[in-house]
Amino acid sequence: MAVRLDATVLAHHLASQRWFAGKGRAWSVTDVRTVAELRAPGLDAPGVRVDLIQVTYDDGGTETYQQPLVSYADDVEHLSHAFVGHEDDGAGGVRWLYDALHDKGSTGLWVEGIATDRTGPGFAFHREPTATELPPGGPSIVVGAEQSNTSLIFGDTLILKVFRKVSPGLNPDIEMHSALAAAGSTHIAAPLGWLEGVWERSDGEPTTASLAMSQEYLKGATDGWELALTSVRDLYAEADLHADEVGGDFAGEARRLGAATAEVHAALARVLPTGRLEGKELVALADGMRARLDRAAAEVSDLAPYADALRGAFDDVAALDEPVPVQRVHGDFHLGQVMRTLQGWKLLDFEGEPARPLDERRGLETPVKDVAGMLRSFDYAARHLLADHPGDPQRAYRATEWAERNRDAFLAGYAEAGGEDPRRQPVLLRAFETDKAVYEVLYEARNRPTWLHIPIAAIDRLAGKQRDE
Amino acid sequence: MTDDLLEPTGAPAIDNFADVPDEQRDPHWYKRAVFYEVLVRSFKDSNGDGTGDLAGLIDKLDYIHWLGVDCIWLPPFFKSPLRDGGYDVSDFADVLPEFGTIGDFVEFVDAAHARGIRVIIDFVMNHTSDQHPWFQSSRTDPDGPYGDFYVWADSDESYSDARVIFVDTESSNWTFDPVRKQYFWHRFFSHQPDLNFENPRVQESVIEALKFWLDLGIDGFRLDAVPYLFEEEGTNCENLPATHEFLKRVRKEVDALYPDRVLLCEANQWPGDVVEYFGADGDECQMAFHFPVMPRLFMGVRRESRYPISEIMAQTPRIPDNCQWGIFLRNHDELTLEMVTDEERDYMWAEYAKDPRMKANIGIRRRLAPLLDNDRNQLELFTALLLSLPGSPVLYYGDEIGMGDNIWLGDRDGVRTPMQWTPDRNAGFSTSNPGQLYLPAIMDPIYGHQVTNVEAQLASSTSLLHWTRRMIEARKQNPAFGLGTWEDMGGSNPSVLSFVREFGDDVVLCVNNLSRFPQPVELDLRRWEGYQPIELLGTVHFPLIGELPYLLTLAGHGFYWFRLSPPEGES
Repeated sequence: MAVRLDATVLAHHLASQRWFAGKGRAWSVTDVRTVAELRAPGLDAPGVRVDLIQVTYDDGGTETYQQPLVSYADDVEHLSHAFVGHEDDGAGGVRWLYDALHDKGSTGLWVEGIATDRTGPGFAFHREPTATELPPGGPSIVVGAEQSNTSLIFGDTLILKVFRKVSPGLNPDIEMHSALAAAGSTHIAAPLGWLEGVWERSDGEPTTASLAMSQEYLKGATDGWELALTSVRDLYAEADLHADEVGGDFAGEARRLGAATAEVHAALARVLPTGRLEGKELVALADGMRARLDRAAAEVSDLAPYADALRGAFDDVAALDEPVPVQRVHGDFHLGQVMRTLQGWKLLDFEGEPARPLDERRGLETPVKDVAGMLRSFDYAARHLLADHPGDPQRAYRATEWAERNRDAFLAGYAEAGGEDPRRQPVLLRAFETDKAVYEVLYEARNRPTWLHIPIAAIDRLAGKQRDE
Repeated sequence: MTDDLLEPTGAPAIDNFADVPDEQRDPHWYKRAVFYEVLVRSFKDSNGDGTGDLAGLIDKLDYIHWLGVDCIWLPPFFKSPLRDGGYDVSDFADVLPEFGTIGDFVEFVDAAHARGIRVIIDFVMNHTSDQHPWFQSSRTDPDGPYGDFYVWADSDESYSDARVIFVDTESSNWTFDPVRKQYFWHRFFSHQPDLNFENPRVQESVIEALKFWLDLGIDGFRLDAVPYLFEEEGTNCENLPATHEFLKRVRKEVDALYPDRVLLCEANQWPGDVVEYFGADGDECQMAFHFPVMPRLFMGVRRESRYPISEIMAQTPRIPDNCQWGIFLRNHDELTLEMVTDEERDYMWAEYAKDPRMKANIGIRRRLAPLLDNDRNQLELFTALLLSLPGSPVLYYGDEIGMGDNIWLGDRDGVRTPMQWTPDRNAGFSTSNPGQLYLPAIMDPIYGHQVTNVEAQLASSTSLLHWTRRMIEARKQNPAFGLGTWEDMGGSNPSVLSFVREFGDDVVLCVNNLSRFPQPVELDLRRWEGYQPIELLGTVHFPLIGELPYLLTLAGHGFYWFRLSPPEGES
């Protein structure tokens, strides 16, 4: 019987992984189990063992991490960067274990699994019903350095996201993509399939968790943040031209992005549950926003002077007498979550706010929240490069121009595509923008103080509007 | 090609090309050719009357040959009252007297062929001038042989679904003729009645006219206004099946007697629709202009984004193997953008109208240099794109030296000023009294002939002229440019347009910085792992391609052309 990797080896491995969230805390590995063994008869690939590593924190809480492993009888030089540890093979020999995601020879198992809806003890691949044809794929390569997932691109047509931190339940990214594909939305990267693991918890209850998802790879696409910055940079370079006069004007793109967003919201409302918020629920929504404001104002002195004015925005929400339609929304919407492709804008990463628990992320919210998130993002894009030009009133003015022009274009595009015009819901819009800006103030104060001026400028504007009414 | 076309008397002899030996055949020459559009009127005046002529053009063939041009395209030079720049033809078998004679034309074609340069000419099929003897006969003698040569009707109500093209000047496609006392149909100006292609004799006459010029040795035609040949009630009278049938017939007749001639059609439609003019089996026109590319190149550089360009290329359908796009740079004449597309088909249309620089240029013609503010970096970038995007490039005379335009001359004439040869009187174009010039030479301090002329640029090795010639040469050395496939390589930077042209072993990677700022880009070149990029103009070897993204940095508006050379021992 093989002696598997011991906890010390795994702990050492985890500590050096970018996707491990426990750095800076005291923790230990408290459980390791194999949730799946992936094998494909006829596929020339060594088997892959998907292990789940449970980590318990000294100050409370546990997390589970996924580590697919491939084992070789000997050192594989080109995989040395992915070495995890040694195992005793139970026959007097030693196996070398590597992170399977870096092994081109093994990663084909995921693609093959999705293509064939392969199942086995402890795991099930699912192929998206709408994925009638799978892209050709090709040899895989691990991309970028991500904070919570490891992504592989196969050839230049297929991307596989492997969720490093595993939680019970269906990953909302999978759920939302499936729903949007079923609704026929063209504003997403087509989902192809996913992998889930099934195991018994310590209390004997079976639990399912999403382990990986696959979708078409948007080759040659650019994310909205980069594209927006290109436009801002262009504007800053032209000292005497207005935002609508420069060649890099982004308004057309912002308008189309608004339309794409409205269409995605409409599709989600068609195929997933919807609801209404009224009375007590609106009060609770406002209460949550007020509470966040209070906490932030207590911590960030720059915010405190505005707090009274800002509270008015939340009072207005509590006082709304019309019910507010709610539905499934993106939840973490900003320029970094949209991609410009040759077929227009596509929306990505429907996982929801990373810090929130799963059931909250799957809750129904007003689409205005997503709109507010994107509007805040335009503001960030406009002011982000001001750090290179400190104390330059001309550019600061241009930044405001850029933000306003593109916010307006986004809203116009949203309304034109048949969405509920957010401009006709000023109370909600202002409240969510304020709530987001408050969150940003807290985040920047703690993490990037030099960026604090960005949300503070927005707070100033939002508080001013409130005061003027 | 052929020799001794001209008998001692100067009269042209008809050559029968049916016996051209196989080794001289080059049926797909137009797929690799670099075209040069030159107006007879504007290039060189040989007899001092202030107007360019064919004899002058012959004098300057060595220059065109030196530049590296493969084929000259001559816009209309047939007899015409010139109310529409020569597109109103009054005799299909004669040359405008101020340009010379048929004999001069034949001599020109010979001289071009002797230098390995081919010649194509404009041919207006759809209509004639109202001064054409056919029309004069048709209106005065309705029962005569030409009575049915045009589209006559008692009322102006038919074909009401056909749009009016020149909305500024014409209110209807029908005009009443007081002589014949009937309405005649014209898709263009009222002095350009449409020929009636339902009449077999019209078809015969048109084909005869084409053969007249083919017999003189030309290598093909640019067929003007072909979408409008036929009309049918209840349709918009454009791109009708009968039109395609006729074009296929023309092609068959031309191919039967005249090998290796090209038909380039002026069907200014969305690429997805233009492909109909190639014929599903490549049995119609071999070439068509890819017109949306140019404004998108311009907007791509304006926006510093490759998306306008990448998108249009992604939407450009595959074309038959024997066919080729024609691509060009200047804001093209005759047509305004409104004529050929609309907001529903192309979201960029709305952006052109809103962008202040572009708006100023819609509907009028500009030369390349003023369009780009005389920015040498941009001029080079646009030329590089013209020479590397899929299709055969069509250069406009004078753009190789960065000539300017004169918008005060009115929308067409502004770009048709005399070719600037020297800093001397009349730009060395003519010895005439300057007042006699058909159009004044450009004389402003930036583009004027005192500073912008061929003589000065020949003398300076760093001139735009020398650079353009070297680029044309580089293009010719790599068949991938003319004959290769197109693949957009995307890349990490939205301001950089990167693509690969591949033809057999010839693999060329083109990387273009659309931004005025220096930019980095990472490209996924895994397919060519182990290959060595060799920069084409300097033959400098760049680092080998590995598995990781390939990093390149470019200066503002800079570009690279690389040949990807396989590892030793592979081919």
